[in-house]
Amino acid sequence: MAEHDALLQCRVCGCLSHASTQLKRFEVMHCPRCGARVKLAQQSNSVEVTWALLIAAAILYIPANMLPIMSVYMLGAGQPDTIITGAYHLLEAGQWPLALIVFVASIVVPLLKLFTLSFLLISIQRRSRWRQHDRMRLYRITEYVGRWSMVDVFVIAILTGLVQFGNLARVDANLGSLSFAAVVVLTMFAARTLDEHLIWDITRQEESHT
Amino acid sequence: MLVSAEPIACHDCGQLHRYSPLAPGKTANCTRCGAVLYRNRPDMLDSVLALTLAGLVLFVLTNVFPLLGLRAQGAEQELHLLGASLAFWDQGYPLLAGLIILNIIIFPLFELLTVLVVVLTIRYRWRSSTAIFLFRWMSEFKPWGMLEVFMLGVLVAVVKLGDLATLIVGTAFWSFAGLILTMAAATALLDPFSVWRALGKNNG
Repeated sequence: MAEHDALLQCRVCGCLSHASTQLKRFEVMHCPRCGARVKLAQQSNSVEVTWALLIAAAILYIPANMLPIMSVYMLGAGQPDTIITGAYHLLEAGQWPLALIVFVASIVVPLLKLFTLSFLLISIQRRSRWRQHDRMRLYRITEYVGRWSMVDVFVIAILTGLVQFGNLARVDANLGSLSFAAVVVLTMFAARTLDEHLIWDITRQEESHT
Repeated sequence: MLVSAEPIACHDCGQLHRYSPLAPGKTANCTRCGAVLYRNRPDMLDSVLALTLAGLVLFVLTNVFPLLGLRAQGAEQELHLLGASLAFWDQGYPLLAGLIILNIIIFPLFELLTVLVVVLTIRYRWRSSTAIFLFRWMSEFKPWGMLEVFMLGVLVAVVKLGDLATLIVGTAFWSFAGLILTMAAATALLDPFSVWRALGKNNG
């Protein structure tokens, strides 16, 4: 199937176009319909960029979990909460469904995302042919689920915005929330820059040889 | 050339297909990975237009009225959507405040206005360059609009505050819930393939 090589697909609008001429160095091709940049296969640095973002996120994941994300002051006595203790307090209060939501969204999802994207990158780099459909599905789920991790950041925003009663009760944001939001943003960018079509590259090349 | 007049590639796996018109209400799926290629929804434009206009009204209500209120020992505190976005600003985290403003005010508003412009452009056959520009960036920004995630955050906060003080659920809480539903319905109905196809035609 020769048309695989000749046609380029725009990542934004899906429109197909021909790479009519050989591009010069630093020259960029734009989609004829929507104007988005169309990357040629040899220009793709998706794997490297995704690795960089993932490693940055993995490093920030440590302070995000070690540092307190917010402090609750009741009658002057303060108590800083990390992500884990925040979820644990909900559990203690008997709110186990919410504790579960917070635990999954803030701890399980970012961690799974780091592992899943690393796994996908390694399998792409090893040119693996193993269960391409499932890896594709795994990528779609990872990409979709990532944004739900922001829920804890929103909770902190709502609590700090609402609970300001001087000495009576007060909620303050702490540095951990910044690191945590950075982890979410970086992993979202990582999922976005990972070119999922690379999962199929090996099959595509084989098809074009036969 | 090997390829017929209108070849299309699966958005998910890149498999090539040929476009052929569908009966109303039908959906075309990718032969390799099963992803949706395109749909034929006869009333798509009108339904999406109605939902988007409703969404804009709800968006205004959500931003004007307070979302939550808290009463503790005679003192009262109210929280607007903008207040929640700016809470981190007052705490000395301007970056986080900026991120949240983008997530729950700027991007959702951008999405509503873009869909409005796109639908009107297709409906009245306006020149589509503006609509193309907006729809392209809307597709890129889509994951960063987080209204439904924020709603979950509101629910968690409500339960957390439950035993701390008396909580008042504001008007904006309900318009916010409505806004999420209308935007989700509009997204589900709007078929990107049909939109790009219509926009591409108007331009040429």
